[in-house]
Amino acid sequence: MRRQLAFLLLLTGIGAVAAVSTAGRKFYDDDPITRAPESRSAADAKPLDIDLFYEYSYNLFVNASRTPSNTRAGNLNTIDEVPDSSWFTNRIGTVPVTAEQIARGVNSDTLPSPEKWTLLREKSSGTNPGFTAKDANGQIWFLQFDAPEFPEASTGAVEVATKLFWALGYNMVETFITRVEPARVEIDPKATVRRPSGARTPFTRDDIDRVAERAARSPDGTFRASAGRLLPGKVLGPFRYQGTRSDDPNDLVPHERRRELRALRVFGAWTNLVDWKAANTLDTLVEENGRSIVKHYLQDVGSTFGMANNLHEWDMGWEHYYDGPATKRRFFSYGFALSPWQTVPYTEYPSIGLFEGERFDPTTWKPQTPVAAYTELRADDAFWAARRVMAFTDDLIRAAVHTGAYSDAAAEAHLAAVLIKRRDAIGRAYLPAINPIVNPTLGVNGQLTFENAAVASGFAEAPTMYRAAWSRFDNATGASTPIGRTESATTSLSAPSGLPVTTGAFVEVDISADSASHPTWQQPLRTHFRRTAGGWKLVGLERLPDQAGAGAAPTPTASKERP
Amino acid sequence: MKRSAAILVFAIVSQAGAAYAQDAASMQDAASRTELIEQAEQAKAEALKPARAGKAEEYVARISDVFLSGQMHWHAFWQNAYSGGGFTVGAGYQRYVSSYNMIDFRGSITPSGYKRLETEFLAPGLFKRRGTLSVIGGWREATAVNFFGLGQNTQQQSLTNYGFTQPYLHARLEVFPTRKLFVVRGNFELSQWNQGSGSGSSPSVETVYTPATLPGLGASPVYIHTQGMFGFDSRPARGYTRRGGFYGVTVHDYADTDKLYGFNQVDYEAIQHFPILREAWVLAFHAFAQTTYDKGGQTIPFFMMPSFSGGSDLRAFDSWRLRDLNSLLLQGEWRANINRFVEMALFYDAGKVAARRSDLTLDGMKTDFGFGFRFHGPITTPLRIELAKGNEGFVLNFSASQVF
Repeated sequence: MRRQLAFLLLLTGIGAVAAVSTAGRKFYDDDPITRAPESRSAADAKPLDIDLFYEYSYNLFVNASRTPSNTRAGNLNTIDEVPDSSWFTNRIGTVPVTAEQIARGVNSDTLPSPEKWTLLREKSSGTNPGFTAKDANGQIWFLQFDAPEFPEASTGAVEVATKLFWALGYNMVETFITRVEPARVEIDPKATVRRPSGARTPFTRDDIDRVAERAARSPDGTFRASAGRLLPGKVLGPFRYQGTRSDDPNDLVPHERRRELRALRVFGAWTNLVDWKAANTLDTLVEENGRSIVKHYLQDVGSTFGMANNLHEWDMGWEHYYDGPATKRRFFSYGFALSPWQTVPYTEYPSIGLFEGERFDPTTWKPQTPVAAYTELRADDAFWAARRVMAFTDDLIRAAVHTGAYSDAAAEAHLAAVLIKRRDAIGRAYLPAINPIVNPTLGVNGQLTFENAAVASGFAEAPTMYRAAWSRFDNATGASTPIGRTESATTSLSAPSGLPVTTGAFVEVDISADSASHPTWQQPLRTHFRRTAGGWKLVGLERLPDQAGAGAAPTPTASKERP
Repeated sequence: MKRSAAILVFAIVSQAGAAYAQDAASMQDAASRTELIEQAEQAKAEALKPARAGKAEEYVARISDVFLSGQMHWHAFWQNAYSGGGFTVGAGYQRYVSSYNMIDFRGSITPSGYKRLETEFLAPGLFKRRGTLSVIGGWREATAVNFFGLGQNTQQQSLTNYGFTQPYLHARLEVFPTRKLFVVRGNFELSQWNQGSGSGSSPSVETVYTPATLPGLGASPVYIHTQGMFGFDSRPARGYTRRGGFYGVTVHDYADTDKLYGFNQVDYEAIQHFPILREAWVLAFHAFAQTTYDKGGQTIPFFMMPSFSGGSDLRAFDSWRLRDLNSLLLQGEWRANINRFVEMALFYDAGKVAARRSDLTLDGMKTDFGFGFRFHGPITTPLRIELAKGNEGFVLNFSASQVF
């Protein structure tokens, strides 16, 4: 057994080295893939819980001081994109998404039927009161209410954030805003509640009262609730933001290296998803194409906007629960070294909470505790994420916010306005930070055209010159043979003479830009095109190689703050 | 061989991490990118292991479960038998007797021999979670309680000490009729104060005073003590808060079963916290006055007179440094928050005792100042460390509670 282990370790070591040092076929015929295969059955995966206290401690005292590996995301296809998978589905930024689609999100036509609720179980986690209950149609829902001080806030946040994260590509739980009328609530005879004593005893009317006392009641006596539908499949518990599931054969890429999980740092900053933790995720085992696969969800995204915090927790989104540099600063100055959150002006709506866009800086945003995927974000991940955030038009944002069903139109308008401001701040921070050339195409006539995402969004001046270095590329050996260099002041460049024309030939084009205010744009975007019968097809795009000194993404442990 | 090759693919892909990208592609003789990834999945499928938490996490989870499951029976108990006993060690064993109600057996002891043994029954959810009932039966002993004489101008050198033992049965019902803000509390206590000689290094009190010069010397009254409190409490929590206040009046009736040492007492208390710059700082103020009234010519024994216990009031002075029929305490703190769990504080205390209520003025108060740290949670303060300076020197205080 020990010998086998040693053999495995040896193989592992060889593999790690070989992967970065061996030349060989770089592109396959099916590159770039648009869907990651998940070919093996995960039927043996078993439920596993993750201890919250351990996770918080690990995040605060291990992850917070960990040096980012600056390793390229591991689940990218050859053109630097994230293929669809059981984790993620390309939506906004990849395909057109309408306001109607965003307003609907993942929701089906089957709404909760609130004529009768049968309570099955108490809500065992989270701060907001709630139940698990069956509606009049026998569907099971997780009901969550608003706190009395913040009517409509938590339910609205869950609804709006679910729509935004669905559009961003994540698997989300169907969520609706519904009503619970105490007179129409029944208790399932088998329902039990875990008491402080540890015993489970039958659910009683007093337990309903106990929850109702902590919930915001509408003037008509009903309770507004957020209803999350029970997911299909077998619940396996939360997923970790690092490592892989050892019982899922299709889970190959360490989670901290999954771009869509790293990108939550940008999406989280946008929506102020401060309660970023494993407990707010869920893995389920589902049947797809006759195979059991593990599907990964974000859930309970209601800790967004200003709603993870009460009105006296101004530091949410600005500091981790424990923040060493800030602690030292306040200690040595007796609190006179003010932190930005102590002076930032908030327009406070009870239904929105502390959420602002004027002083927001996505590069210094912090969740309550830093998960590994947060610390591993690189500039190219942030760029990818920022493009998706920027794909939300004002109207799309308003459509998502409208689903929060806020009774105060001013609060709704405020939330949309802040999201728009924060969206722009994200674009301004991340799009110009690295070479922002996107959507390169090579015409059959050898004309290379592309876009500059930073310039197109208005966050940077056009560079004085674009430059392209052209090479023939041998896909079998990985060798490049220079053809020539061209340049242009526009986003269209001609190829030099000598471009191969045979089908199956490859060309490598390194595209850079001269900009005095953005020297990072000189780091070339490396692209590869394959000649097909119909012309040139983009098969390779690498914005930043491994260990590139990413630059734009902040060091998570740095206590960089706005003046 | 096939298995080894599969393991190699899995090792490469999982280590390099570039499962879908070009670097790993060249390693295998796969026909497509999809096939390459499927090879890696097959390799992992042949080496699956049950998902499980690491050892450290399992250990932490087990501890968390014990704490959260209601099965954490043993606990530390830091409460002294009486102020001035010094460093206290103690333990308790608690268990639920119903879904929400619990019983707690606990005891503590100090190097100077202060002891406390008691049992508490606690029902925290009465009247639809508006009220809390606590019933405590116990016995305690204090071996060397400071006594410096009566009045504001006693000398530190005039220190004597006394001891007492006290069996007690105490019931307290506290109710927030509207769930928040307004609070009423009723207490009933039956106890016997068996006053005796002190065993401290200073002279025992009876060697310096006589019953004629010190009221109640040698007395061992049995009191039926009832009290009622009405207050306004806007603090989010009593154990730790950065805002809100408390304003309350408590009326006591101490009825001596022998009708010799009965008296009445009225306490007035005001606490207010003013957060500044989003709680970067908190200015906190506390005023507390105790006034006593004799009952038909009965004597108020010296050991029942208002005094200052030390650690949470006049912090730079010995415990029970001042004692008389009436007392006034004024405290101010400038607290600075370091983070969610630690705060610093600069503080100032002023205290006065007087035989007549009309003498409870701001003139001639004993004062001190100091600096300290508080390690706290959202609603509790498990550790408070303070260094206080007064005209009688420095005192370093450790406490397991909020100062006010």
